[in-house]
Amino acid sequence: MFLARIAPALLGALMVLAVLSALVLAAGKPLGASFQIILQGATGYPRGEAFGPLDAWDAVLHDMTLLVLTGLAVAVALQAGLFNIGAAGQLLVGALVAAWVGAQVGIPAPLHLPAALAAGALAGALWAFPPAWLKTHRGAHEVISTIMFNYIALYLTHWLVTARLKDPAGDAPQTAPIAEAARLGMLHEAFLQASWGLAIAVLVALGLWLVLYRTVWGYEMRATGANRDAADAAGAPTARRMTEAMLLSGALAGLAGAVEVCGVQHRFFEGFPAEYGFDGIAVALLAGNHPALMLLSAYLMSALRSGAYHLHAETGAPKEIAVVVQAVLILYVAAVYLRKRRIEG
Amino acid sequence: MGGILDAELFGTAIRQATPLILAALGGLLSERVGVVNIGLEGKILMGAFAAALGTLLSGSLWVGLACALLVGLTLALLHAVATQEWRTDHIVSGVAINLLALGLSTYLFRQLIVPREEAGESSVVPTFGAVLLGGLENLPLLNVLVKDQSWLTLFALGLPFVLLVLLTRTRWGLRVYAVGNDSQKARMMGVPVKRLRYLGVLLSGALAGMAGAFLVLAATGQFRENMSAGRGFIALAALIFGRWHPLGAAGAALGFGFFEALQMRLQGQPVFGVQLPTDLLLMLPYLLTVIALMGLLGRMKPPSDLGN
Repeated sequence: MFLARIAPALLGALMVLAVLSALVLAAGKPLGASFQIILQGATGYPRGEAFGPLDAWDAVLHDMTLLVLTGLAVAVALQAGLFNIGAAGQLLVGALVAAWVGAQVGIPAPLHLPAALAAGALAGALWAFPPAWLKTHRGAHEVISTIMFNYIALYLTHWLVTARLKDPAGDAPQTAPIAEAARLGMLHEAFLQASWGLAIAVLVALGLWLVLYRTVWGYEMRATGANRDAADAAGAPTARRMTEAMLLSGALAGLAGAVEVCGVQHRFFEGFPAEYGFDGIAVALLAGNHPALMLLSAYLMSALRSGAYHLHAETGAPKEIAVVVQAVLILYVAAVYLRKRRIEG
Repeated sequence: MGGILDAELFGTAIRQATPLILAALGGLLSERVGVVNIGLEGKILMGAFAAALGTLLSGSLWVGLACALLVGLTLALLHAVATQEWRTDHIVSGVAINLLALGLSTYLFRQLIVPREEAGESSVVPTFGAVLLGGLENLPLLNVLVKDQSWLTLFALGLPFVLLVLLTRTRWGLRVYAVGNDSQKARMMGVPVKRLRYLGVLLSGALAGMAGAFLVLAATGQFRENMSAGRGFIALAALIFGRWHPLGAAGAALGFGFFEALQMRLQGQPVFGVQLPTDLLLMLPYLLTVIALMGLLGRMKPPSDLGN
């Protein structure tokens, strides 16, 4: 029984290794040495300075912080049966608003950081609202509308950061730096060079675990996702729960953007890394949408990215190896674990 | 404003619209048989890469085009097998295909084309030239529509009409309609649902691959990383804006192409002394699609059996 349960996971791991090996070999790199470098990048051991100020382990923790949050964003929506492809756009909007609030003067110092983070989450939630409304009131597929809102966010934030909210000091398309009081500190200066954002992400994951699996609200949300008609028949307010799930999802993606601004970048700029929003899809699917497993899933995905990046830095092999592996992983997980139950002749 | 709306602008608009029309019609063929296809973007990108590589290696544009179609078909086959045999969620499969295409095309580009460039060889391929219509292209209206356009553009402009006839006047078209509306009922009536779905998804892949080929073999002559740049998603928007109708989808694609051309023209050019933000123009197709989804432009009804 146990073996049967973990057999698909083992097979998946083997397949990932096979794809990874094939890509490394096709890039003309020796397999053994390459895997050593990938492992170094994935675990940060032995420590090196391959990333300038950030070494490999710090890069893993940084990616993990964002991927836990965007993974949770995608997962919360999926638990209610909604596919939020719009985490990237919600992250952008959240980041920009957090940067704007963070740079305001006149906010009392102890409130500045919470205000910036909350504003980012709120902005992400607001950005997720129209797709939720279109879904529940107009029946428009949320995938289509969230894709549209991704692009609207992309162009809107680009316009704002190049024209309206640009830092007047300098020509670069970026906002003014946020106040010291609005910044997230490091967990530990010496051996945990990740911002407090990581702690926030872990706490949010554990909190969501409780809410989704230990409250009526969470139960109704999951019931809606499992079978909306049945949940309706049982009296759950499904449209409401779907809207709430989407808002929560947007808030989490917005929070990811805010954490990146307050913890790492300290401003919004042209080309802000929105792709973490898309990577959240893979993280959520790999974790089976479970909030606690999101920590493991986000760690694995970050390790894969950092490992591939490390290999790229050391040998010049294309770092897109990580993207290909991620794609194969999504397909595998979807085909093995997320099959539709459907009767067909 | 006088110097802006000229024939050249419309020519650019139609060139910009060509890959959108091809991909939107591809999306239509897939969604009309009930298979959601958000993987258009990846197929365009992989098609563009295959077109460039095939042409570079063989020296023939036609081989490049064939490679693009083949790659589009292969990715489409993956989507068809994933959704029809493995019962994977259509969206998840589409997301995975987009990622796969982004990763693979960039990886292969760095492995196969960049080294050529570094060795001093050109990575620029010839492009399909303008089609001459024996003087017809100088007639009014036609001089705006088809002058100095490659055959791929002419093909894209004619295709919606061909598809309209095929979809409404043939046995295949009626069966597609039946599958898209109620696949269970269609199956009971003896319609080969699975075969029609495979065909629709494969045709969609070929058209998206052709859209990618256009980017390299007609528009730019060169592959660049992530050069599809969201066109697959604009095509999806055009498909919805055009209400899953061949002429509607192509019309919307032309409109969106016009915004792109206008945006390129207005870059840094004031209109009536006002600098128009080009970002807002680029945003317009997506905004219009959202407005359409709100139901402000009449009822939007996708094929009812979509996604099952």
